[in-house]
Amino acid sequence: MSAAPSPLATIRATALGYAPRLLQGRGWSLAALVAVPVGLSLVIAAIARLKGLDTHPGEALRVFHDGLAKVMLPIMALVAAPAGIREDLEQRTLPLLLVRPAPAWALPLGKGLPWFLWGTLWLVLGVLSLQSLGGDPSQLLGRVLALVGAWWGELALLTLVGLVFKRGTLWGALYFFIWEPLVRVFPPFLQRLTFTHHIESLAGSRATDVKAHQMLAQEQVSSHPALAFLVLIAFGALCWALAGWQLHRTPIGLAGSESEG
Amino acid sequence: MISLDRASLRYGPILGLSPTSFELPEAGGITGLLGPNGAGKSSLIQLLSGLLPPSGGEVRVFGQAPFRNPAVLARLGLVPEGDRMPSGLRADRWLRMMGQLAGIPAADLPAAQARALAIVGMADRAHLPFASMSKGMRQRIRLAQALLHGPDLLILDEPFNGLDPEARLILMDLLRTLADGGVRVLVSSHILGEIAQLTDRILLLFRGRLLAEGSVPEIRQLLDRHPVELRLVGEPLALARWAVEQPELAVLRVEEEGVVISVRSPREILPRLQAAVAAGTIPVRSLDPLDLNLDAVFQYLTRDNA
Repeated sequence: MSAAPSPLATIRATALGYAPRLLQGRGWSLAALVAVPVGLSLVIAAIARLKGLDTHPGEALRVFHDGLAKVMLPIMALVAAPAGIREDLEQRTLPLLLVRPAPAWALPLGKGLPWFLWGTLWLVLGVLSLQSLGGDPSQLLGRVLALVGAWWGELALLTLVGLVFKRGTLWGALYFFIWEPLVRVFPPFLQRLTFTHHIESLAGSRATDVKAHQMLAQEQVSSHPALAFLVLIAFGALCWALAGWQLHRTPIGLAGSESEG
Repeated sequence: MISLDRASLRYGPILGLSPTSFELPEAGGITGLLGPNGAGKSSLIQLLSGLLPPSGGEVRVFGQAPFRNPAVLARLGLVPEGDRMPSGLRADRWLRMMGQLAGIPAADLPAAQARALAIVGMADRAHLPFASMSKGMRQRIRLAQALLHGPDLLILDEPFNGLDPEARLILMDLLRTLADGGVRVLVSSHILGEIAQLTDRILLLFRGRLLAEGSVPEIRQLLDRHPVELRLVGEPLALARWAVEQPELAVLRVEEEGVVISVRSPREILPRLQAAVAAGTIPVRSLDPLDLNLDAVFQYLTRDNA
């Protein structure tokens, strides 16, 4: 008889076991979500330089905030999270994992970790590539940490809602594309309940780019970068823990639907 | 090894398994879990394998409650119904992961994997991705994952579904070999003939209730307590006259070519029928027992409880 594996061994085994999925269609789609907008920006900048035109140094910031942070990052989470533990629930292969003596609560993180690392790789490459378009080099680390921290939190959040709600992806999409854009009209307290606030606090505020008529009635607030990063990491860790707890406590049978809310 | 004390399972308002009690002893052997679709077989299996906790009563496997209990799960192997496998993975890599999740030490894992693959006859095809495997091959890999850690109790939910006859025979031989090796095997099916070939003990479920338990001969004895249908081909009126005089007669149906009689205790009436035919008392050209097999017991019991 074998002994139950430790949580770390469970996370490691699950992450390595499902790692080959990264080099398949969904994994490359995830990579493309970063590579395509960044690559297009670089190509356009290169063409402009060939024609002797000046490239605006703020272009990199625009691609970062309006492209990667606001649009691509949420889509990456919407693409990657369903390939996590939610996939086993829908494919009805979760019972095969749950009848193992391994701690069930470690499975969501184990399945999500390869996707987090794969996304992180492409986000870091993307931010580094954008640096060639211009921008303050001193803020490079902040931009990297902003995207990586937000990616960690958003992936964890979507994994959690995917386990709690039957239509978790839909709820996640509603959150990202309805709640987050409202950051410009939120009072300071509610601004802090968005990923956008923490990304901007880390990567450099866009307050100077925002015109008065875009600000509406509210003033943009900023958190200390270290605090913003800590919040993103802690929020992600909390979501992974809650997802694990949800999986551990919820009876999930062979039909695979008992956990759906 | 397994004990249920008025264990029940509800899916919201739907009763999956009525309060059920039984015990399976520690020794090896094969137990068949019989019943039609919706009988509660999968519910029972989910209780025993710790996927679902009971809604009421108590389930004990190896003396402990199995739900999310590593001590029980480490000694248990489950082959769930169907052939669904994680998409985009190769069998050997997936098996390695399942072995690690079963807590097999890294040093022992290659040997355990090779042994399990050899048992199911997939040693030379484990490098294939699931997508390129046949249903039978995937079923064998599912069995291999359940055998990896050398379980004391192996539970299979409808393992014969979708398998061709040759694969069924191979799987049966495999289960017999495992049982001979001391593994307690619990196999569910609605294919009565196959279970009768395979098992030395049967649990009969219907509509969430345990109808009967016992060995195949014991179950067969139930036949005596229930009417059995016989078709007698010959002159209908003469056959009907003889039949109504028999105390075991339950139902008589006259047909063009003879009669169909439903009788209790066929062991008593059959010798009298044989004697009457030999003496020329009744003109019987042929006798067809319509349901003298295990299927009949099943049909009778389920009909009685419908």
